[in-house]
Amino acid sequence: MQTYFIRRLLLIIPTFLGITLLVFTITRLVPGGPIERIIMQVQQMNAAERGSRINFTKTNQSQPLSDDQLNQLKKYYGFDKPIFVSYFIWLGKILTGDFGNSTRYYDPVLTMIVERMPISLYFGFFSLIIIYSICIPLGIIKAIKHKTIIDNSTSVIVFIGYAIPGWVIGILLLLLFAAKFEIFPLGGFTSDNFFDLNFFHKILDILWHTALPLFSYVFGSFAVLTFLMKNTLMDNLASDFVRTAMSKGLTFKSAIFKHALRNSLIPIATGFGNNISIILTGSFLIETVFNINGMGLLGYESIVDRDYPVVMGILVISSLLFLTGNILSDICVAIVDPRVQFK
Amino acid sequence: MIRINPLTLNKIKRFKSIKRGYYSFIIFFIIILFTLFAELFINNRALIVYYNKKIYFPVYNKMYPGKVFGLDYDYETNYRELKNNFSNSSSDNWVLLPIVPFNSYENDLKENLYPPYPPSLKDKHFVGTDKAGRDILARLVYGFRLALLFSFTLLIINYMIGISIGCIMGYFGGVFDIVFQRIIEIWSNVPFLYVVIIISSIVTPNIMLLILIMVFFQWIGMTWVMRTITYKEKERDYVLAARSLGASSSRIIFRHIIPNTISIIITYAPFSISSGIITLTSLDYLGFGLKPPSPSWGELLQQGWSSLQSYWIAGSVISAMILVLTLVTFIGEAVREAFDPKLFTTYE
Repeated sequence: MQTYFIRRLLLIIPTFLGITLLVFTITRLVPGGPIERIIMQVQQMNAAERGSRINFTKTNQSQPLSDDQLNQLKKYYGFDKPIFVSYFIWLGKILTGDFGNSTRYYDPVLTMIVERMPISLYFGFFSLIIIYSICIPLGIIKAIKHKTIIDNSTSVIVFIGYAIPGWVIGILLLLLFAAKFEIFPLGGFTSDNFFDLNFFHKILDILWHTALPLFSYVFGSFAVLTFLMKNTLMDNLASDFVRTAMSKGLTFKSAIFKHALRNSLIPIATGFGNNISIILTGSFLIETVFNINGMGLLGYESIVDRDYPVVMGILVISSLLFLTGNILSDICVAIVDPRVQFK
Repeated sequence: MIRINPLTLNKIKRFKSIKRGYYSFIIFFIIILFTLFAELFINNRALIVYYNKKIYFPVYNKMYPGKVFGLDYDYETNYRELKNNFSNSSSDNWVLLPIVPFNSYENDLKENLYPPYPPSLKDKHFVGTDKAGRDILARLVYGFRLALLFSFTLLIINYMIGISIGCIMGYFGGVFDIVFQRIIEIWSNVPFLYVVIIISSIVTPNIMLLILIMVFFQWIGMTWVMRTITYKEKERDYVLAARSLGASSSRIIFRHIIPNTISIIITYAPFSISSGIITLTSLDYLGFGLKPPSPSWGELLQQGWSSLQSYWIAGSVISAMILVLTLVTFIGEAVREAFDPKLFTTYE
């Protein structure tokens, strides 16, 4: 068992190197990086200076920077070395905790990420609580009331939620409750006067702003967990140990809650470790719809802006979380179910 | 003559008995048929023109310049104007227009009024127009057709690659299996939407390029499924029997293993279709999908989101999405239940 987990932990290293190298190479090969942007800015500045005299000439199409300046820029951004060399330089810096500076905002990447983290953490944490506290009871009810009206009607709702992506639900909610009835705000995480409010009103303000996005986060996530719960519980209800428990004189209720339910929670625990990455990354589509400055939006904007240090920084964090999440899941299984043998 | 395996027949029967999925399938089928012949219902060309004792069918024909119908221009006839002309003059010429006489590209602008226009029966914009004055219903239907084309092509290519590589991985195992396992592990950790965005922000992709970009990242799913199935299937007695009769590896794979796995593969297909539609819509919503004038749900959603006061834009797209995606999910759920049954012994 221990050797299994040690091996799994060691396997993170090649996978991590593979992912980062792949994305690093892509960011290098793709045009439109920081140097191109600076060239464009210089061109626009030149054009603006000349603008008063000559309008719309083609002269600003030529290269405005000298070779010397270009080389300096390339050196500053580390583009003067081959991909592999600069990749290993980058890797060395990452290992010492230096994520570099954003090429667009010139802030340290790490502080940018840390600033956004609480927001994504908030959504991740609360949606997790909501999902688990709805799915497990719902799954139990559906298993006991299999093929009844309650079962069928909740199935339809859960499947509709599963079918439609969360951000589309978000737009629908905005349309209904923000534009039409004006109950909830159109977006953002806090009001403008947030810092003047007292503690209690601050909480209310955040809840008021996050009710709709939170709903869009959770609505689509019920299906998998609910049906997992339902199916495993039904398997267990039909198995011999429940029948034995009943024949010994246990009530149906205590047979379910003391015997069947505990065993049915094992597959639920399997997926628990993966939540660690959901908590921290968040959906950038939902964040764009509701204008929330979370990790997802940061990642999305950094890609659109070609802010590669930020892209790579987020990739490092999210892939590490994902990979450790997988292992955590296995550990969860091992804790919950002692019969499982990892080899 | 197609010989239907009695087992397959059984599965189809079981599928039909799952009412929710079966009716969803019928409705979805009708919707697909409708979109295939959408030109007959939503088009700026007339269905039939009766002019000077001759009948014209402009919809599926080459374009008729205005001169053919006695107008004074050489470009394509504006049939809506033609209809007005005919009804004003007291000749026995007539024009039969489709129910929605607009295509998905033309801007139907009014004087002194800025689009988007709300739904109106009189203007024949049944769900209104978008911000450029284009008919939303037309854009919805033609956009759906593009999305379907996209999803089905994506599915076929993905499954072809996935089935072949997955089968080889599962059947032969060994070094090939290990190498591809690592590749897949790396591949599946690369945030694929991010890379798609980067690539499509450099080149404005057409639909085929977009599909290829998607395939580049999505072949993994099917490959992994197929590998697992083949792995299990390989150990079963009928494969052993075939091998002991002297069947070659290719015969075992193509004649025995793949036909036996088809029923499991099919259960994944509806979900692939809906994920294809969602992916295309998301990309279009963000502006990294198909080129601007092409009709698309994502682009309409973007418009609807940015002007929520024009509720009919977002409202119509979201209703269409809810309808289609729910149907596909119901079908998928029923197919899974029918083809891969998990029969419960319920506790009494």
